[in-house]
Amino acid sequence: MDVKATALLKIIYLEMNGHDMSWASFHVLEVMSSPKYHQKRVGYLGAVQSFKTDTEVLMLATNLLKKDLSASSPIVISLPIAALPHIITPSLALSVLADLLPRLSHSHAAIRKKTIVTLYRLALVYPETLRAAWPKIKERLMDKNEDPSVTAAIVNVVCELGWRRPQDFLPLAPRLFELLVDGGNNWMAIKLIKLFATLTPLEPRLVRKLLPPLTDLIRTTPATSLLYECINGIIQGGILGDSEDDGREEIATLCVSKLRGMITFNGDANLKYVALLAFNRIVVTHPYLVAQQEDVIMECIDSEDITIRIKALDLVQGMVSSDNLVSIVSRLMRQLKTSTNSNNEQPDDLSTDSEEMGAERRSRRKDEGPPLPEDYTIDVIGRILKMCSQNNYSSVVDFDWYIDVLTQLIRIAPASRKEVDADGTTLGAKSTIADISESIGNELRNVAVKVKAVRVAAVRAAELIIAKLTMESTSHQVTSGSLKPVAWIAGEYAHQLSNPSDTLNHLLQLIPRIRPPEILATCLQASMKLFALIAGNDQTYWTAERKSMVSLLMARVIHTYEPLITHPSLEVQERAVEFTELLKLTAEAASAQAPSTDELEQDPPLLLTQAIPSLFQGWELNSVAVGAQLNVPMPEGLDLDEPIHPNLGSLLAQADSLMLPVQEDDEFAAYYNEKAAPTSISSEPAINRIRDAPETVTNSYQQATEDSYLDADIIARRKAERAERNRDDPFYIGDLSSPSRSQGTSTPIHNILQNENGPDLDIDSIPIMKLDLGGIGVASSSSGQSHQQYKAPKARPQIVVAADETLVGSSRPSTPRTGSQHDSDAAADPSSASASAKSRAAKKLKQSLLQVDSSHLRNLSLEASESGDAGGALPHEKLAETDEEMAKAMKEVQRLRLEMQRANERIQVAQGVPSEGVVVKSKKKKKKDGEEKEGGKKKKKVKAVEGEEGKGEEEKKVKKKKKKVEGETAEEGEEGVVAEGGPVGGEAEAEVMAVKKKKKKEGEEGKVKKKKPKRIIQLDDGGEAGGEGGVEAGEP
Amino acid sequence: MINAFLVFNGQGQPRLTKFYTQLDTSIQQRLISEIFTLVANRPKGSCNFLPLPPLLAASSTSSTSSEPHNDVPSLVTYRNYATLYFIIISTSTESPLALIDLIQVYVESLDRLFENVCELDLIFNFETLHATLGEMIVGGVVIETNMERIVQGVRAQGTVAKRPVNESRGGGGGGGGLGSGLGAGLGMGGNFVWSGR
Repeated sequence: MDVKATALLKIIYLEMNGHDMSWASFHVLEVMSSPKYHQKRVGYLGAVQSFKTDTEVLMLATNLLKKDLSASSPIVISLPIAALPHIITPSLALSVLADLLPRLSHSHAAIRKKTIVTLYRLALVYPETLRAAWPKIKERLMDKNEDPSVTAAIVNVVCELGWRRPQDFLPLAPRLFELLVDGGNNWMAIKLIKLFATLTPLEPRLVRKLLPPLTDLIRTTPATSLLYECINGIIQGGILGDSEDDGREEIATLCVSKLRGMITFNGDANLKYVALLAFNRIVVTHPYLVAQQEDVIMECIDSEDITIRIKALDLVQGMVSSDNLVSIVSRLMRQLKTSTNSNNEQPDDLSTDSEEMGAERRSRRKDEGPPLPEDYTIDVIGRILKMCSQNNYSSVVDFDWYIDVLTQLIRIAPASRKEVDADGTTLGAKSTIADISESIGNELRNVAVKVKAVRVAAVRAAELIIAKLTMESTSHQVTSGSLKPVAWIAGEYAHQLSNPSDTLNHLLQLIPRIRPPEILATCLQASMKLFALIAGNDQTYWTAERKSMVSLLMARVIHTYEPLITHPSLEVQERAVEFTELLKLTAEAASAQAPSTDELEQDPPLLLTQAIPSLFQGWELNSVAVGAQLNVPMPEGLDLDEPIHPNLGSLLAQADSLMLPVQEDDEFAAYYNEKAAPTSISSEPAINRIRDAPETVTNSYQQATEDSYLDADIIARRKAERAERNRDDPFYIGDLSSPSRSQGTSTPIHNILQNENGPDLDIDSIPIMKLDLGGIGVASSSSGQSHQQYKAPKARPQIVVAADETLVGSSRPSTPRTGSQHDSDAAADPSSASASAKSRAAKKLKQSLLQVDSSHLRNLSLEASESGDAGGALPHEKLAETDEEMAKAMKEVQRLRLEMQRANERIQVAQGVPSEGVVVKSKKKKKKDGEEKEGGKKKKKVKAVEGEEGKGEEEKKVKKKKKKVEGETAEEGEEGVVAEGGPVGGEAEAEVMAVKKKKKKEGEEGKVKKKKPKRIIQLDDGGEAGGEGGVEAGEP
Repeated sequence: MINAFLVFNGQGQPRLTKFYTQLDTSIQQRLISEIFTLVANRPKGSCNFLPLPPLLAASSTSSTSSEPHNDVPSLVTYRNYATLYFIIISTSTESPLALIDLIQVYVESLDRLFENVCELDLIFNFETLHATLGEMIVGGVVIETNMERIVQGVRAQGTVAKRPVNESRGGGGGGGGLGSGLGAGLGMGGNFVWSGR
C-alpha cells in the first residue's frame, strides 16, 4: 500500500504536467480508503486533482466519504470536507449533507470553517442544502464568541451568496455592520464592504449608516487595499448616486482625489491599475468627475504595461466628448504610428520585402515606441472608430480631420501584418485583420454617405487609398478588407472623383489580385460604375478619337472580367458574366457606329450613353437603421415555404444537362484583347491631384500635433488645402504669392522624385515636403492663426450628419442623431423578449471555462427557514425583517398581478373574451394602488386584501386560466375542480402558496420563456392543491 | 470566488495546479501555457494583473455581452518570486489588491514551513503545497489569512518533510541560489492588507 500511495503521488505530479490520470481512478479510491492517514491524504489529493463529476468510482466513494466525515480525528475529517467541493454532484450532496451538518458545531474551529465553505459549494449544485444549513450558519455568524477566523469564513461565504440573492441578507445587516466597525480583520472588512455594496441598492437607509465608518476607514486605514475597496464599495453601492447632498459631494471628491493619488503615487503599477478600474466604474454614472482627471488617465494610455493601457482605453472611451476627442485620438494615433514603424523594423519582416523597403525603414527609425502586439493594435483602432462614431458622430466636429485619420488608419492597419497574411498560415488572425481594415473602410463609407458636406473629401480619400493599394501590393495578393467599402465609395460617387479614369485603371489592376470574393464582387461593380461614367458621356460627339478610346477601354475591362466568369464564387461569377456580355454587346454597337465626321455628326451608341449609365443611376442611397429591414411589413399571401416552381427539381436537372455557350467567340473582343495596349498607368502623386481640388465646405483645424501621427503626404494635402483656401480668401491677397509659388516649384521636384523611386516611398519625399511646408509654414502659420481668429466668431458651418433611415410607425426605435448606432447594435431589441430570453438560455449553455454555475441557487427561497428562526434574531433586526417581509409581500403581490395580467391577455387572445377581464384587472389594480398609497402596508393586510377583494376575481381568473390550459394542452381531469371554483375559504391561502411557488419559478421563467405555459399549469396545480388542503406546502 | 491557483516556474513548468472548478487536463495545460506566455512577456515594473488569456477572454465575452456576470472569471493576478510565478484566477467579486497579498501570505507560509523555501522544496514536497493551500482556500473561498493558523494547520497534518536525502544545498545545481532568491523575493513585503501587522 505504501508503494501504491507513493506511485499515486507521482501520478498526481505527472497529471499536473498534463498527463491524463483518469484511468487510475479506482486506485485513487483504494488509497483513499487506506486506514493510514498519510496514505489517505494522498488518495484524497488524487481525488481532488483527477475526479470529475462523471467519474464512475464516485458512486463507490460516497460511503467512504460519509465514513470519513464522521471520523474522530479532526485531520481525517477535514480531508473529505476539503475534497467535497471538487467532486460534488447533486446526488452526492444529498447523501453527505446529513453527515456534514453536524460538523458545523465541531469543536475545532478549522473544521467548522471548512464545513461552512463546503456547504456553500454544496448549495451551488444542490440548493436545498441552504434550507437546512442556513439557520446554523446564521447562528454561527451571530455568535459573538465564535472564533474570528470562522466568522471571517462565514463572511466570505455570505459575500459570495450575497450578490446572488442580496435580499435574503438584508436582515443580517446590523450584525455585519458591527463586524465591519470592530472586526479588525482587513480581509473580512473588504468582503463586508463588497457585500454592503450589493445590499445598499435594496436598502437605501443603509447608506447613511455606512457612510461615517467608510469615510473613517478611507481617512485612516494604512492598508491600501482596504482603502481601495472602501472607495470601490462607495462607487458600486451607488452611494455617489445623487449629488445634491452635501456630504455625498464631499465623499465623491474625496474618493476621486484618493484615486488620483493612487495613479500618481510613486508609480506603483498595481495601484494605477485598480484606480483605473474604479474610474471605469465611476465613468458610467459620473463622467464629469472622471473627465477632471483626464491628464493622469492619458498618461496611463502611454504606459508600457498593456493591462494598464487597456483599462485606460476603456476609460477614455467612456469619457470622450467633442472637446477632447481630437486630443485623445491624436494621442492614440501617435502611439499606433510609432509602434508600426518599429514593428516594421523587426528583422524577420525583411524576408518578404525588397532591399529598398529595408532602406526606407532604416531611415524611418527615429521616434519609435515599443512594439505593440497585434491584437492590441486592432483593439486600439477599433476603439478609435467607436469613439468617433459614437452617437452618430456627435463628437466629431471636423470631418476633414476624421477622414484623414481614417486614411492614416488604413495605412497602419494592414502595413504591420501583410507578412502574416502572405503566408496564410495564421488564418484566425487574418480574419480579424481583414475585419478591422474593413471596418475602417466602412467608417469612411459611412461618412461619405451620411455627411454630404465632406463627401467630396471622402471620395478623394477613397481614391487615394485605391491608388496606394495598387502601388503597394504589386507582387502579392490584395487582402486589405478596406478595399471593399472604398471601392464602393469610388463607384457610387464616381462623378466626384478627381480623376475617374485613373481610379478605374487602378481598380482594373487590382481586380486580378483580389482573393476574397466579397471584395471582388464589390470591385467589379465599382469598376463598372466608373466605366459607365467615363464612357457614357452623351454631351460630346462620337468622334473617331472617342470611339477608339472607348473601345480600348472596353476591351480592357472585358479582358479583366473574363477570367472571373469561371470564378468559384457565384456572386462574382454572375456579375462578371453579366458585365462581360453587356460590354461585348456595347463593343459591337460601338464598332458599328461610324465616327462622326465633319459633315455628319454621329451620336454615340445609345447603349453606351443611355443603357449602361441608367443601370447605376437612380435614387441616392441613404443609410438605413439597423433592424429597419425587419419593419418592412410582410406582403399578403407571401409563403416562403412554398416552392418557387412546382417542378423545381426537374428544372434543375435540365439546367445541368443544358450547357450554355458562355464562351462564345467574339472576334471583336479577341481583336481588342490582343491589342490591349497598356494605357499609361503612371500614377499621379497625391499632391498633384490636390492642387485642383475644389473648395471644401468645412473648416480645417489647425492641429499642431498632426504631423506626428499623420503620414507626410496626408499632411501635405492638408497644408495644400489650407493654402488653397487662403489664396482664395480675399483677406489674404497679400500672401497669394508665397503659397502658389511654393506649390509651383515644389511639385515638379516631388514629381520627379516619386517617379523615380516609386510612388509608395512617400517617406523619401519628407525632406522635400519639409522644404515645401517651410514655404507655406512661414507664410501661413501666422496667417493661418489669424485666419482662425478671424473665423472664430463666425459660427462653424453646420455639418449635417444624416440619420439612419427607418420605417415610420415602427415598433423598433430608429436611430436619430442622438441614438448611437453601436448602442442599437448591442441592445437587444426590446420588442422581442422571447429572443433575448432565448439568447440568455443559449448563454447559459455556453458557459465560461472555470465558471461555477450558481443559477440554481437563485431560485431557492430561504423564506421558510428564515421565518422559522426569527426568534433568535436581535430586536432591531426583527424590525428590519418584518420590513423586508413586507417588501417581499408587496413584490409578490405585484408579481402575481403581472402574472395574472399576462394570463388574462392570453385568454383574450385565445378566446376573444373582451374587456371584461381588463375591467376587473384595472379595478383591482386601483385598489392595490390605493392600499399602497395609504401606507398601511402590513403584510397581513395585503394578504387580507388578496383574500377578500381578490377572491372573486381570483376565482374567475383561475377558471379562465384553467380554460386556457385546457385549450392548450388538453389537461384532463381538472375541470371538475375548476368548476367548483375551489373552496372559498382556502382561496387566499392557496394564493399565498402559489405566490411562493411563483417566486421560486420567477427566475427560471425569465430565462426559459419557452417553458412558460407549462409552468403556469404547474402554478395552477399548486394553487389548487393548496386550496384543497395545502398538500404541497412543503414541497421543494 | 477563486477559480484556480497556479504555480509555475520561469520555464512554464507547472509546480502546483489547483482548479476549483472541473476542467479537462488538456484545457488546463492550454490555460497554463497561455497564462505563461502572458506572464513571461511582462515588462519590468508592470502591474500584477494580466489581461485575460484568450481561452478565458473568448468565453467571457460571449457570455458577458449584456450584463456583468459575477460568476465569470475575470481577473488574473500574478506574482513573481525568484523563479516562480504564482497565479490566481478569480471572479470580479474578489478584491484585486487583497489577492496579491493572499499570494504573499501563501509564500510566506511556505517559507515558514520549509525554512527558506526554494523551488526544489516545492517539487519534492508538493503534497505540502496542496496542504498549505487547503488551509487557506477551500472550494474557491478563502477561509484563512492568518499565517500562524495556516502553518499550525499544516503541521497538524503531519511533519513537513525536510529536503530529500540527496539534497545538497548550495552545492548541487542552483538549489541554494533559488532558495536565497526566493527568500529575497519575500523582501517585497506585504504592502497592502497586512501592513499593520
